[in-house]
Amino acid sequence: MKRFIVKRLGYAVLSLLLLSLIIFLLVRLTGDPSVLLVEPGASKEDLAAVRLQLGLDRPIWVQYGQFMSSLARGDLGHSFYYRTPVLELYLSRLPHSLMLAAAAMAFSLLVGIPSGILAAVRVNQWWDSAGKIFSLLGLSLPSFWVGLVMILFFSVYLGWLPSSGSGTALHVIMPAFALGWYFAAAHMRLTRSAMLEVLGSEYVKLARLKGLPEALVIGKHAFKNALIPVLTLAGINLVIMVNVAVVVETVFAWPGVGRLLYEGISFRDFPVVQATVLIGGAMIVIVNFFVDVLYAVIDPRIRYER
Amino acid sequence: MTRSRACGFTLAVALAVALAIAAAAPAAAQPSGQMTWAVHVSLAPTWFDPAETAGIITPFMVLYALHDALVKPMPGNAVAPSLAESWTMSKDGLTYEFVLRKGVKFHNGDVMTAEDVKFSFERYRGASAADLKAKVARVDVVDPYRVRFTLKRPWPDFLTFYATPATGAAWIVPRKYVEKVGDDGFKKAPVGAGPYRFVSFKPGVELVLEAFDGYWRKTPSVKTLAFRVIPDESTRLAALKRGEVDIAYSITGPLAEEVKRTPGLTLAPTFFPFTVWLLFTEQWDAKSPWADKRVRLATNYAIDRQGINQAVYLGYAKLAYSFVPQGMEYFWAPPPYPYDPKRAKQLLSEAGYPNGFDAGELSGDMIYGTAIGEPVVNYLQAVGIRIKLRPLERVAFFQQLADKKLRHVVQNGSGAPGNAPTRIEVNAVTGGRYAYGAYPDIDGLFSEQANEMNPRVRRQILDKIQQMIHERAMFAGVIEPAFLNGVGARPAVHGLGLIKNHAYSAPYEDLKLKGK
Repeated sequence: MKRFIVKRLGYAVLSLLLLSLIIFLLVRLTGDPSVLLVEPGASKEDLAAVRLQLGLDRPIWVQYGQFMSSLARGDLGHSFYYRTPVLELYLSRLPHSLMLAAAAMAFSLLVGIPSGILAAVRVNQWWDSAGKIFSLLGLSLPSFWVGLVMILFFSVYLGWLPSSGSGTALHVIMPAFALGWYFAAAHMRLTRSAMLEVLGSEYVKLARLKGLPEALVIGKHAFKNALIPVLTLAGINLVIMVNVAVVVETVFAWPGVGRLLYEGISFRDFPVVQATVLIGGAMIVIVNFFVDVLYAVIDPRIRYER
Repeated sequence: MTRSRACGFTLAVALAVALAIAAAAPAAAQPSGQMTWAVHVSLAPTWFDPAETAGIITPFMVLYALHDALVKPMPGNAVAPSLAESWTMSKDGLTYEFVLRKGVKFHNGDVMTAEDVKFSFERYRGASAADLKAKVARVDVVDPYRVRFTLKRPWPDFLTFYATPATGAAWIVPRKYVEKVGDDGFKKAPVGAGPYRFVSFKPGVELVLEAFDGYWRKTPSVKTLAFRVIPDESTRLAALKRGEVDIAYSITGPLAEEVKRTPGLTLAPTFFPFTVWLLFTEQWDAKSPWADKRVRLATNYAIDRQGINQAVYLGYAKLAYSFVPQGMEYFWAPPPYPYDPKRAKQLLSEAGYPNGFDAGELSGDMIYGTAIGEPVVNYLQAVGIRIKLRPLERVAFFQQLADKKLRHVVQNGSGAPGNAPTRIEVNAVTGGRYAYGAYPDIDGLFSEQANEMNPRVRRQILDKIQQMIHERAMFAGVIEPAFLNGVGARPAVHGLGLIKNHAYSAPYEDLKLKGK
């Protein structure tokens, strides 16, 4: 088990190192950020002064070395645009992203899982069809469109909810729905297929043969086993919701990490983009690491794999 | 009545009258209420520090609130005295002396003196800092309320660079405070001499300012200003309709029509010196069709500028026939080109292209490149100039334009402050950052005007230069976009359009809410 954990840890660190290099190089392919920080037609001297100020005049390997050594000290750099430590910026946005992600995840699980169970139990009946339509719409409709329609209807026409920003529970309702619908659809489909597989298994047949109530068969025996892949996906989706809800956060002017990433990309703010992607990547790697370890704890066959 | 009693009686009456007048005079109004803006761009802390002003108009959205300048554009006066009461230029054009307004206080109570002016200039490192400092020999504090700038050579554009939004060098910060907190500390808690003091800032989210009752010009009427960043245009409109904001910047096209249709909302266009024009990069290449002046003229006749104005800006924009904005100093008004596709085809035929020709690409940035570029391409194709639109991401566009990598036709746009010579220098003379070519005679005249201190003579030379550019059809002006903004029901004075060539609400101390 120890060997397994060390191996997984090694893979995690390697993944993050590779990610740091890829994002460092990729972001520099997008162009010179100093062009956006001066007026069009600025002289070469003005541009050179800005590049010097931002440390972009140094060779790329020197910049990477400085980036990695700062990272080792927990310093994610200074935003070119906001002139603030990136960690400070990120931490100021993170609570909002966590709140939005938690609300969206709660919606996606509370709607996705029960509808998936119903669709599986009432397979090919109208519950199943309704679930399929719900999930098809959730996966197909762009979240920005859903968001704008909700703003128009609930905010402008009905006047029930604030149009944008954050601050109260009412502010989070629309963005959570717009963000959560896609994931509710995904959770619904996975729950349905996992339930169908489990409901066809031998031990469920045995439970029915024993005369157990159907609600007990579904709720206790089938559901618990079907839940494992759904929760695995939910864990990773939570990380995605926290870090990459760019469109929803922009439409609703929600002050989260996704919008910070969008601003970083728009302004060629290299430190912001690097830090946001790295932290998001680190979250996914950590979640995967713990899931792998949990799997190994639950299933001994996994920890002895070569 | 004895004399002493008469005197006493007179004194008592005078006192009673004086007291009555004082009681009848209205008490000085205290600032009250809040005005909220939905802002289309993310506010940057560099905008809180005049020393880092980029040569674009957006920082002035904040500078006009937090800070004040020796001289700045105000309603009815493009060069209005503000922290400076007056200034003089020596006969030889080498020295400018500013007399400062006495008793001006910064938000922290420090009194402004000439030391602060000198300090603010010396620490300035924003747009055109290198150019400005290369031309200024020294700045001297003559006395606490007089400061003298000595130039190395006479420079007719000193005030254009120092006293307009071309730079932030004339916007004054408190020396003692900046030296105490440092540049980073200043951006976190800026202190200025403007009508509003800093309260709080959440980067990319919201800026809140509060009225400064010690502002020299007047105490603002509105107590709190809040600038909320709402990147999406539809969401800005929704916030305006709901009354969550009082003013929404940058509302375009069908959404601007919606503002006009909605009772209680007003569409308020503003302008800043911004032109969109076509640059013919291959006019100096004898093998290219674009080298023929008739082809370039045909392009001018082929574009329905009014049609673009109606479709994109609801008719509020200004038609452009030059690459220099009409509001800029030394602008020369070229004769307009009518929309005449027949004439355009005739010119192409005379040039040897009766069936048109393959014209390559029209490159532009993603924003104006599509909104204006698409109709321009359609108009050109209609007369036989078979050209394709190539929108580029903004950074990539400006980099390739500066590196002279863009070919055929480029749709350029600039809102850089300055005057006609600064635009000509960047775009139409040898060595200009975006100049793909030049003419020696124009270069010669440009050098001549750069040293000409007589404004009348300088005007004649610059008119001649612009005429020559027009006659050679070096560019095709298209439009000067209007910046369309939505205003809600609460503002009595919203400040939009009060200052010429300023895109945003200002002066903030003049803003008023209804019923206040």
